[in-house]
Amino acid sequence: MARHSKTQGDKIAQGLTRRQLIELEACARCGECQVWCPVYAQDKRECITARGKLQSLRRLVKETLPEDEKHEFLEGLYECSACGQCHIVCPVRINTPELWEQSRLSLANAGIPQPESQLKQLATIKEFNNSFGKPQQERGLWAKTAWEAGLLKSPVPLWRDHPTSLIYFAGCTASFELAMQSVAVQTARLLQEAGVEFSVLGEDEPCCVSKLRRMGDPDFSLEAKKRLNQFDRMGIATVVASCAGCFKGLHSDYSKLWPERTRVIHLTQFLDHLIRERNLRLVHEVPLVVTYHDPCHLGRHNRIYEEPRSILKAIPGLRLVEMSRHRAFSSCCGMGGGLKVANSGIQHKMGAERVREAESTGAEAIVTPCQTCSLGLLNGVDEASSGMKVYHLNEIIVRSVCPEVTSEEILSAFVRAAVR
Amino acid sequence: MIDIPAVNYPKPWLLFWAVVILSHGYMDYALYRKWISWNRGITQTATTSGRWGRALKIWAAEVFLQRQLFGLSSFRWLIHLLIFFGFLALAFLSLSTFFLKLSHYLGVESSVTHYFLNGSGYIFIKVWGDSFGLALLLGLIIASVRRFLFRPAQQISGQMDVFLLFFLLWLTLSGFMLEGLRLALVPVELARCSFIGCFFIPPGTYTLEELQPWLTLLWVLHSFTGVGILVYLPHSKLLHSILSPLVIAMNAHEEQERKDLYWPDIAKHRATRLPRD
Repeated sequence: MARHSKTQGDKIAQGLTRRQLIELEACARCGECQVWCPVYAQDKRECITARGKLQSLRRLVKETLPEDEKHEFLEGLYECSACGQCHIVCPVRINTPELWEQSRLSLANAGIPQPESQLKQLATIKEFNNSFGKPQQERGLWAKTAWEAGLLKSPVPLWRDHPTSLIYFAGCTASFELAMQSVAVQTARLLQEAGVEFSVLGEDEPCCVSKLRRMGDPDFSLEAKKRLNQFDRMGIATVVASCAGCFKGLHSDYSKLWPERTRVIHLTQFLDHLIRERNLRLVHEVPLVVTYHDPCHLGRHNRIYEEPRSILKAIPGLRLVEMSRHRAFSSCCGMGGGLKVANSGIQHKMGAERVREAESTGAEAIVTPCQTCSLGLLNGVDEASSGMKVYHLNEIIVRSVCPEVTSEEILSAFVRAAVR
Repeated sequence: MIDIPAVNYPKPWLLFWAVVILSHGYMDYALYRKWISWNRGITQTATTSGRWGRALKIWAAEVFLQRQLFGLSSFRWLIHLLIFFGFLALAFLSLSTFFLKLSHYLGVESSVTHYFLNGSGYIFIKVWGDSFGLALLLGLIIASVRRFLFRPAQQISGQMDVFLLFFLLWLTLSGFMLEGLRLALVPVELARCSFIGCFFIPPGTYTLEELQPWLTLLWVLHSFTGVGILVYLPHSKLLHSILSPLVIAMNAHEEQERKDLYWPDIAKHRATRLPRD
C-alpha cells in the first residue's frame, strides 16, 4: 500500500508543539497586538501583526495559503524582534515569542529557509563562534588591554589559569565591538571593586548561540549542548552575563539543559545584590536625570524589572523618570530576534521612536543594562537626530564608584592601543 | 400556579431534529479533524509550578471576569462581557428549557419542571431570557457601532468578522421578534414579564390563526439559525470561544507566577495612554 507522503504543511505542523497548533486557531482577532507592536508602528502591514502571522501560519499549515501571501507572511515572521509585547497584551495569552521562534525553526526544517542576511549571520556564528566573524583568539583581548591601560585594579584572571566557581561571561558584543568593550571592562572593574573572586574564559568563551534559537537555526540544540558540556566539565557554579541576549540564551533557552549545580544570573541582579550587601559602595554623586529602557530579554522574557531600577535609585544625585511605556509594556528597540539582521532600516526607526519617547520625559539620558540595546538606541539617536545620551547601566554605576573608568576613558585607551 | 395560556403553532420538529443531529455530527467531525491536525505537533511536557488552585483562580479571572481586557479597555471589556454572558446565559436557558420540556413530554415531571413551566419559575425564565437577550443585543449593537462607525485602527473587518456579527445579531433579533409575536397572544400582565420582548409585540389585536404562519416562519428562521452555529463554529472565529479558555488554562498553569502577565498594576506599569491614541 502506498504510504501517504508528508506535505509541507505536515512538516511545518510537526515542528510546532500541539499547544502552538491550538494557539494558531485561538486568536480572537481583537487586534490588541497591532496596537502595541513596535514593528507595526513603523511598517503598517497586517502581516507584521501577531494576528496576521497567526492567520497566515494557520493557513500555511493547512496548505491553503496562496504563494503570494506566503512571501508576505515570511517577511512578517522574520521582520519581528520577538519582543513579546503581543504576549503580554494578548487577552488569549498566546505565547507569541516562543511561537515565532519555533515557527522559524519548523519552517527551516520544512525547507523554507531564513532570509539570506540571517543565513549569513548564522553561518558566521557557527564558523567563527561569534557573530562578528573575528578570530576567537581576540575574544579576551579586552581584559589584557584594559589592564595594560591601567583601567583595572588587577589583571582579570583566565579561568584556565585560575579556576573560580564564578565566571563573568562577556558575550560577543562586549568582547569584539569597540564601542561596547567598555561594558566588559567596567564589569570587571566593578566586580574587583566589590571584592568578587571571578575569572573569564577568554578565548575559551563560546558564543551563547542564542541567535541561532532566535532565528530558528536547526543546529541550536546541538550547539547549545556542546557549550553546556564545556561548562559542565569546568564545574562552574555561577555564570554572570552582562548581555541581555546571552542571559536569555544561557538562562532561559538552556534552562532545561543546565546541570543543576550551575546557575546563570544577569549582571544587574548581581550588582544589585552587591550594592545591597554594601560590597559595592556608591560614593560619588551622579547629577543626572535618566530614564530606563527595559531590554525585552531581561524584562518581558525574564521579569528582571526591579533590580536595575533599584540600582539607579541607589545612586546619589541621580533621578529616574519613567517613559510612558515601561516594564512589561516597554517598547522594543528592534535589536532582537534577528530583526536588525533582516531589516536594519526598521530597527533604526524603532530605536528612534524609543529615543523620542525618552526625550518626552525630560530625561538627559537613556540607561539600559544591555549592550545590544545600547547599540540599537544609538542607532535611534542618529535616526532621530537627537541629542539624547545613551548609557549602559555600568557607565552610571562606574561614575558613582570609580569615575576614572568611564566609557570615554576606556574607548580612548582602546583606540590608542589599537593604533600601537 | 400561574395560568399560562398555551400558544401552539405548527413547528417542523422532525426536520429540526434531523438538522440538529446532522449539524452536530458535522461539528463533531470537524472538531475531530482539528484534533487530529493538532496531534501532528510535538508532544510537550508542561512546565509548571503546579499550583492548581492558583491556576484556576487566574483562569477564572481571565475567562469570566476578563480582567486582561478590562485593564486594556473598559469599553471593549463591557462589549465583550455583554456578548459573552448574554450568549452563555441564553445557551444555558435553551438547553435547560429543552430538558424541562423533554421531561414534560416523557412524563417524568418533577416539582422543578412544574415550577418552571407552570409556576412562578416561568416568570424567572422570561426575565432571565429577556435580561441576557438584552445584554447580548446591546453588546452586538455597540460592537457594530464601534466596528462600522468608529472604525478603530486595530480592528480589521474581514468577511469572517462581519458575518459573525450579523449572524449573532439576526439570531438575537429574530428571538425577540418571535417572542413579540407570541406575546401578542397572551394576557398583557403576563406579557409584561418579558420586559424587552413586549416591545416587539405587533400593534393591534390578533388571533392565533392570523399569526400562525408568521410564528412558524420566524420559529424556523430563528431555530435553524441557532443550529447553524454548530456548523459555523469550527470554521469561524467563534472557535475562540472554546480555544481561548483552553489556551488561557494552559498558560495559567505554566506562567502563573508571572505577575507582569497576570496581575499587572496596569495603571502604574502600563502606558497611561495607549500607543497612538
